[in-house]
Amino acid sequence: MITFHEVNKFYGDFQVLTGINLHVKQGEVVVVLGPSGSGKSTMLRCINRLEDTSSGELTVNNVRVDDRKTDLNKLRRKIGMVFQHFNLYPHKKVIDNITLAPIKALGVSKAEAAETAMYYLEKVGIAEKANAYPSQLSGGQQQRVAIARGLAVKPEIMLFDEPTSALDPEMVGEVLDVMKALAREGMTMVVVTHEMGFAREVADRVIFMDQGKIVEEATPEEFFSAPKEERAQLFLSRLLNH
Amino acid sequence: MLDFSILTEYFPLYLEGFLNTIKASVLALIGSFLLGTVIAIFRISGVKLLQWFGTAYVEFIRNIPILIVVLFFSWGLPSIGVKLDGFAAGTLGLTVYTSAFIAEAIRAGIQSVPKGQSEAARSAGMTYIQTMIHVILPQAIKLVIPPLSNQFINLIKNSSVLTIVAGLDLMYFSDKISSETYVIFSTYIFAAMFYLVLTLPMSYGASVLERKWAKNS
Repeated sequence: MITFHEVNKFYGDFQVLTGINLHVKQGEVVVVLGPSGSGKSTMLRCINRLEDTSSGELTVNNVRVDDRKTDLNKLRRKIGMVFQHFNLYPHKKVIDNITLAPIKALGVSKAEAAETAMYYLEKVGIAEKANAYPSQLSGGQQQRVAIARGLAVKPEIMLFDEPTSALDPEMVGEVLDVMKALAREGMTMVVVTHEMGFAREVADRVIFMDQGKIVEEATPEEFFSAPKEERAQLFLSRLLNH
Repeated sequence: MLDFSILTEYFPLYLEGFLNTIKASVLALIGSFLLGTVIAIFRISGVKLLQWFGTAYVEFIRNIPILIVVLFFSWGLPSIGVKLDGFAAGTLGLTVYTSAFIAEAIRAGIQSVPKGQSEAARSAGMTYIQTMIHVILPQAIKLVIPPLSNQFINLIKNSSVLTIVAGLDLMYFSDKISSETYVIFSTYIFAAMFYLVLTLPMSYGASVLERKWAKNS
């Protein structure tokens, strides 16, 4: 469903991604781990071309993402995205945050968009906040609204960019629960996170990145019990021994 | 002290000037807002040629005296065959001069909306224009109101440059009154009061709006 073939990316002279090869199948949950600055988020943001790649091939649903002629807006409607800082629209109510893209980008009627929005708000467990403004919600609630917003365009793929990193510890669980439910329903997901518990429990595959390269690729059982690469071993030992 | 006979005797002249000042200010306000918005959009368009033009326009206009801009429209244009009366030339100069400052205020407002806002909208498949209209501009307008109201107050005060091209504004008639009566102090104090009648409500209105929006965000 998502295929990276020898993808490189540069910021000027600095190489952020080096020779990325990765294939994500339909319904698969891939968790990307690695120290900060390792290029995880950049790789994720290439998938819907919030970042341009410099060379190599990147396809989503057999459509070249890195082709200038690709209709980006059409492609992006198939890919939902959840950000570290939620990025809800502060001037719009929760319900209007969710219905905006379906109405404007998909051309869905207002009534239908509102119905869909309520369905997903129920699903993430905060239907009662439909008429609140984002600033009246806790971080965990805001992120659940952001997930509902991502789902409302009915994407085939969901991208998560450190979705719990900006949350108070006690709110992490409610967001991860929503993501777990989504994974169980068979959504194709690529998740950049530091939540090892989530990776262990939900991931079909774990990708470990360092210095812009994919260093190790394994099932969660293999990765957490016996990481092959030294850099991954060091990373895990630092996480577990503090 | 204040000589109130000046005000009563010359009230019709003051009034004519006052009304012309309002007319010039309103025209220049609308014109400079539209022109400034277009220039601001040029500057953030990402199209090299437009960006270059927008930057050159802003940097050139706002770094020369307004007097020279106005003189260009009243004396410069006739030399290439375009004749304007004092009021038209003055109002046009005022519009062009103010638009450079307004362009900067609007550009700064748009660019201070966090990048994540447009990323969220674009990643959901909305177009650049849809993102601007529904996500960026509604947030930018709140950030732009304070600097914009400052520019509009400056515009009203700067409209006094119309006097040097015989633009029949409030300052022009005040000069006329003082040269007829040789009363300088009172004449210009009354003129200042007429300007305050226009500018004070604007400052007040801006601060009310600002407080109202601060509550909602």
